[in-house]
Amino acid sequence: MTSKKVILTGSFGVGKTSLFNQFIYNRFSEKYLTTIGVKVNKKVIEVDGSEVSILLWDIAGEVSQDKVPTSYFLGASGIIYVIDLTRPSTYKNIKSDIDYLNQIVKGGITKIVANKKDLVTVEQIEGIAQEIVLPWDIVTSAKTGENVEELFQELGKGLLAG
Amino acid sequence: MKSSRKGSDEELQLIQLREILLKKDRTAIREIQELIDDPEQLSPKVQPIIEEQLELLKANFPAQYEKVVNNLIEQKLKDSQEEILNVIYPVLGKMIKKFITHQFQMIKDSIDRQVRKTFSTKGFWTRVKSRFFGVDHSEIILSDADKPVIEEIYAIQRNSGLLMGIASMQETIDQDVIAGMLTAIKSFVEDAFKKEQQDLEMIEYGNYKIFIQNFPTFYIAVAMSGSMSTGEKGDLSDKIMDFAEDVLSSRQELNGDNYEYISTELKTRFINPQIVST
Repeated sequence: MTSKKVILTGSFGVGKTSLFNQFIYNRFSEKYLTTIGVKVNKKVIEVDGSEVSILLWDIAGEVSQDKVPTSYFLGASGIIYVIDLTRPSTYKNIKSDIDYLNQIVKGGITKIVANKKDLVTVEQIEGIAQEIVLPWDIVTSAKTGENVEELFQELGKGLLAG
Repeated sequence: MKSSRKGSDEELQLIQLREILLKKDRTAIREIQELIDDPEQLSPKVQPIIEEQLELLKANFPAQYEKVVNNLIEQKLKDSQEEILNVIYPVLGKMIKKFITHQFQMIKDSIDRQVRKTFSTKGFWTRVKSRFFGVDHSEIILSDADKPVIEEIYAIQRNSGLLMGIASMQETIDQDVIAGMLTAIKSFVEDAFKKEQQDLEMIEYGNYKIFIQNFPTFYIAVAMSGSMSTGEKGDLSDKIMDFAEDVLSSRQELNGDNYEYISTELKTRFINPQIVST
């Protein structure tokens, strides 16, 4: 079975750990607990009849160079960059963050995820899509679990193809 | 004049009458006063009463005063936590010191037993080994007293933290996650304290140690219990180098076949039999 390292990154409070918990344990908690350092867990998913073991690294807040050890990103085959649809500040630096991550993780798959779909209307989502400088790949709700499985299925396909 | 004389006679008679009537009482009071004032006389009379009361108190104290005393102690403890801690700390320190001394004594006893064995054939060979390998005799004796045991050994990709192979004394769950977290800890430490190009080489927790031997694209983590002598560390390091050269250098790619092969080799070379002996 193929094993792949995938990193979950993005600003504080965008719901990285909630996506992580929803993906790994199928659960969601209203309680907000800041991740300290990094949390690693594994889930085996089946994509088109093949199994892939995803080692998911949930990295604490921020992407910037001076706050997170660069080595956390090394050796990753996939990046999940999460933004919060309710907070414009979480996608303000999206372009520079993605450029920075692509410099470290060469040849990896990047998925931009717009999270907290349950807190905004369809019109609001359309409005944000107009103003954001890089388009997202999927809109999710870690709370309801909407599109979480789809996100990892898409990622798994890309990982196996790569 | 006549009436005045008559009055004083009556007064005198009254005094005399009072003297007669109260004489007995006054004598008794005087005797009591003397008794009270003289401890030698008082003591034998009071002693039995006090003793009786004390016995009574002893018999009934728990029932009558337990609750009151408990409340008092509880309140005192609440009010004086800092003072109590100040008193307890040195006592605890002494207890810990006593425990450590006891442990040292046990080690010493163990060494004594080993020393006695030096007159045996094994002891003779230990000394020969000491001379031959240049390892201190006491170090050999100490290592015999607390033998190192390899509990688990991991081969891990350096950057990704993905597991290349593992061998373990017991069933371990989430080996992939352990490898990932170990890599995360290693990355954090190396990143946080970087001054030069240096690697994390050991993590210690309780009686366990994780020795890490780094290579350019992977590292080997050995979880051990017991104590290792300098000679044994060198021996283990050499075996890991041989393993890296023989096995890992040609099997860098992560796939099922390589994982199985690396894990089997780790088990054969490090777990069965245990290799940490010079």
